[in-house]
Amino acid sequence: MATVSSDLIWEITRNTSSNLVKRKQAGGVSFSRDPLNLRNQYSRKYEGLVDDKAIGVQPAEEGGVTLLVKKANKQNSPATAIQKSTFPASRSTRKIYASIVHSTTNRGYRLDLRRDAVARASAIRKSQKPVKEEKPAKLRGAKARAAASA
Amino acid sequence: MSRPTVTVINADGSASQDTLPIANVFKAPIRPDIVHAVHTGMNKNKRQPYAVSEKAGHQTSAESWGTGRAVARIPRVSGGGTHRAGQAAFGNMCRSGRMFAPTKVWRKWHQKINLNQKRFATASALAASSSAALLLARGHEVSTVPEVPLVISSSAFANAAISKTSKAVALLKAVGAGPDVEKVKKSRKLRAGKGKMRGRRYTQRRGPLVVYNPDEDGKELVLAFRNIAGVETSSVYSLNLLQLAPGGHLGRFIIWTSSAFAALDKIYGSTTEPSALKKDFLLPSTIMKQPDLSKLINSSEVQNVLRPVRGGAITKRTVVQKKNPLKNFQVQLRLNPYAAAFSKEKLGQQKVESKGKPQKPAEAFQGLLKED
Repeated sequence: MATVSSDLIWEITRNTSSNLVKRKQAGGVSFSRDPLNLRNQYSRKYEGLVDDKAIGVQPAEEGGVTLLVKKANKQNSPATAIQKSTFPASRSTRKIYASIVHSTTNRGYRLDLRRDAVARASAIRKSQKPVKEEKPAKLRGAKARAAASA
Repeated sequence: MSRPTVTVINADGSASQDTLPIANVFKAPIRPDIVHAVHTGMNKNKRQPYAVSEKAGHQTSAESWGTGRAVARIPRVSGGGTHRAGQAAFGNMCRSGRMFAPTKVWRKWHQKINLNQKRFATASALAASSSAALLLARGHEVSTVPEVPLVISSSAFANAAISKTSKAVALLKAVGAGPDVEKVKKSRKLRAGKGKMRGRRYTQRRGPLVVYNPDEDGKELVLAFRNIAGVETSSVYSLNLLQLAPGGHLGRFIIWTSSAFAALDKIYGSTTEPSALKKDFLLPSTIMKQPDLSKLINSSEVQNVLRPVRGGAITKRTVVQKKNPLKNFQVQLRLNPYAAAFSKEKLGQQKVESKGKPQKPAEAFQGLLKED
């Protein structure tokens, strides 16, 4: 199959892509909608659409984490190109990180994305936890305690 | 050399045993600059002339009042008895005046584009349509499509099998193009601006382009597909860049019938075989045989002629902070390799071997030492 190189795809799509989200705020930031972009930054390094060996981490339903792994040899078959595996909410976070690293970095996927993949999984898990309520402020001084009890 | 192939998909979406060789046109160079330039030109060729009325702003007998009346020398409407009298006229800065540089119907509305450029752009757009990444970047929902380019067996269209829209919709859904059609349906919005009152009321995305071979597939499918939002049909013999690269952006999702796909090599030829149907046309060939930059950089041809990294494992670092060797043991080791053994043997912590008080030197020595 005639495959197009990543570098060429990036040159074609760097200015016009459906994933690109440009805003004028914050000095003209460019974000990405790509599920295979671990940092949501629109750049050659992080854009999974361009890369033939991309990784994605997405929140799953009911508190889990889904790992997306793009297969380099399935470039021309979109339906099977992305392998999905979901870790349930019951799986401990450290085991999730270990399995993410095992199924990507340890299998010839990009080393420089390891940190980002783990960090994203961690952030997703953290966001799925219930927000702790703030403790009521401790009363300082006898007067304040007396006022509260009265 | 066996050419790469593409699987032919059955009408129910399953892969058939048949494969077709990838046409040469899919190996044409992908040149967004050429496609964009040709698209800009071609997009102008369906325009109709418009202009303001020749008389607009000039249907008055205004004359300047000249100097001396303490008003500007712009022509003013003559007469009296109405508010209009004495008001400025004609100028583009005047209310009810003519516009600046009134538009004319003899503007240059159409663009001539060199035929070879148009053919290059078409070939380029076709080549881009075979890359799933470019389809996704254009915004097509192709994540359910089994293969790109998507080729459907012509037997699905035989004997006018697809002549009803319901069948066409079912076919699109079966081959995984359903989400893209659905996306178009949801995208229909009221157009912003005046286009609403000029027959362009809605905007919507573009869906798949169905390319068929009229000789073998018949033309009934055109009627079947025409009422599905966003779906367009085109004969393989008259592909149009405006459909292959809408907006000048590469990567239109194309659904081929197998007979149309098989006809591509006849229509476009190759880089060495001239096309059978296009006069004097050879497919453009790529300038770079290997467009993968990391492969180029890491190739033995490049690496062999590069000088080795200077310094090897230890490189001299310039402009770094000086470290105190007395405090930083690693730096001390670099300066004094014996320091390792010295510290390991704890020589610095040993007491000096002593044998009691030192003996007094001999009398003769004392005498010699203190000779006055």
